[in-house]
Amino acid sequence: MGSKGGRKGLTIFLFLMPTLLGLLVFNVYPILLNTYMSFTDRNKTRTQPACEAVASKVLDPLCWPVFEQNTRARGRPYEIQQPLFENYRFMLGQFFSGPALLSLLQIGIIFVPLVAANVVNRRLDQNLDRPISSTAVWVIAIAAVALLAFVIGLREAYDQLMRTGPFIVVVFKTILFVAIRVPLTFVFGLALALILNSNLPGRNLFRILLFVPWGASSVAILVALIWRFLFYEAGPINQVLGLMGIVGPKWLQSPTLAFGVIVLADIWFSYPFFMVTILGALQSIPQELYEAADVDGASWWTKLTRITLPLIRPAVLPAAVLTSITAFQMFGTAYGITQGGPLTGANTPGATEFVMVYAYNQIYNYAQWGRATAFAVMIFLMLFAATLFSLRVTRITKGAYES
Amino acid sequence: MKRTPLWVRILQYAFLIVAVIFALYPVWFAVIASGRLGGRLYTLSLPGMFFPVEWTFNNYREMLFDRPFLSWLTNSLKVASITTVFSLIVCTSAAYALSRFRFRGREMILVFLLALSTFPGLLSLVAIAQLLTAFKLFGSHLGLILAFTTATLVFCTWNLKGYFDTIPIDLEEAAQIDGTTPLQAFLLIGLPLAKPALAVTAILAFMTGWGDFIFSSVLIPGPESAKLAVPALYGMANNVGIDWGLFASGAVFVIIPTVLVFLALNRFFESGLTLGGVKG
Repeated sequence: MGSKGGRKGLTIFLFLMPTLLGLLVFNVYPILLNTYMSFTDRNKTRTQPACEAVASKVLDPLCWPVFEQNTRARGRPYEIQQPLFENYRFMLGQFFSGPALLSLLQIGIIFVPLVAANVVNRRLDQNLDRPISSTAVWVIAIAAVALLAFVIGLREAYDQLMRTGPFIVVVFKTILFVAIRVPLTFVFGLALALILNSNLPGRNLFRILLFVPWGASSVAILVALIWRFLFYEAGPINQVLGLMGIVGPKWLQSPTLAFGVIVLADIWFSYPFFMVTILGALQSIPQELYEAADVDGASWWTKLTRITLPLIRPAVLPAAVLTSITAFQMFGTAYGITQGGPLTGANTPGATEFVMVYAYNQIYNYAQWGRATAFAVMIFLMLFAATLFSLRVTRITKGAYES
Repeated sequence: MKRTPLWVRILQYAFLIVAVIFALYPVWFAVIASGRLGGRLYTLSLPGMFFPVEWTFNNYREMLFDRPFLSWLTNSLKVASITTVFSLIVCTSAAYALSRFRFRGREMILVFLLALSTFPGLLSLVAIAQLLTAFKLFGSHLGLILAFTTATLVFCTWNLKGYFDTIPIDLEEAAQIDGTTPLQAFLLIGLPLAKPALAVTAILAFMTGWGDFIFSSVLIPGPESAKLAVPALYGMANNVGIDWGLFASGAVFVIIPTVLVFLALNRFFESGLTLGGVKG
């Protein structure tokens, strides 16, 4: 038995080896080098390692014997910084100060009614007949959010937060982007899927035409360039507006409008995925449920909120979580359209500089390796937590043998 | 089932038509611009923004014969195809082990793969570039292929492993009774049944190389003839004094075939096979 087990182990190892080796060299090693670099002051003028340091000798390829014949560039070498967390401190800025934490708390409080509405609805669902419909609870909650936003001053809290440091600014903007983009994409995809799921003549043609952006999204950066052209000052959008007698704005020069354009373009890229996922889920809902509801005289809205939405939830929730994570890492759309601009002031990230665009600009346009890698480490931790959470929601690690 | 009232039908069609215009116009805009005279991106005549009122094939001809566009295309095709082959072989092997063997640490490896993939590729590029320089692979297509292949490993292993799990192992066990080894049984019986998953994984791996911008622009800085199509066209569009007609015809050459491939394979995508490899 022992030798048989050993052979099995060897077989498994051989099958897995190419993958593990590739990941070790191209994923694990970069993470290690990144983490090390985030504690150094490497930047445009200090590109070379000080090979006397043990960590540099092991981690930086420039210190490896393969490189010894190459002539080193001049200039002072980069070294580990004192204090150690200087790059992290720079990235976080004034985050751990009173006003910044207060404004974060204020923003948190503003959205409490939404959480409360969710809890209340769940409670009420346990009763047989509810005194108030779930839609009404949500409407009240949204009204409460608007009221709180006005009373507490969402605008000031947001502005305060935007003055803290690059990390918070960039991450907050990206979260804002995800929070707008994903629900809108869901609603748009849902509307299309509901229509396409009815017995509408010509629905197959529409389905195929509406699928086109998914294909285009794999060459996202080129299509994003086209989106940029659409919103130029003399572009087609402003020409159509001009026809209606409106002088079109400079879309890509205004921080808010540029943000909106990127949201719109990213919805364009990603709605087919939602549409297709929802369509698949809709087709698995038994028709009898709707017929029974029709007998009871249920309205269209009741059928949607009481039958359709709960039944597509298991299929749509994992998709929503996964697209939220990919939307957080969106690069091509924003880089193709604005490259992170327009600028909002000296030394602050641009209006559409989302996490990946910011990292790219820091590395390839400003050569701020030390800071960019510190930023990367913090983003990695966030994404890691988000992925662990998504595993719980989607349960995709279960194998063939588990049920 | 009740018949849908007429006004609902009209509203539905109106919504769909607006959605289709939204879906197609950006691509259509590139097509019109590619045939416009004089290398302009825009025209002041409004109909010209929506219909090809003037048309020339000069842009296409110049792009194909007077520019290095054909070598960009062949570079892209070469790199993406070799990436696909590499990644299918490596991932099938790993997915086979993860799906057909029970061993300690199996679930740990799966989570480990996923955890690694949360480190954004863009950020590991600094290290990858240095590593490839050390191995004298910087600026070469082989280095890029290696980087792309490892970038596909996680979603490709996950996708295949998930699909292999759905193929009943009984068929392979029956073949083993007839005297094949487990691996032969898998290759002869399991793998052919996994064709849809292999097709989707292949197309996603191909698109990693074909559509990528960051890796290929950083790892292949030049010369012009070694560049890949997407970063080369992007570079072209950001040049001052660029001939827009040329850019548009190049973009059409890249975008239209990509869209057609996705349309041809859309039934695979609709089966939900790609959840592990969602692309934003």
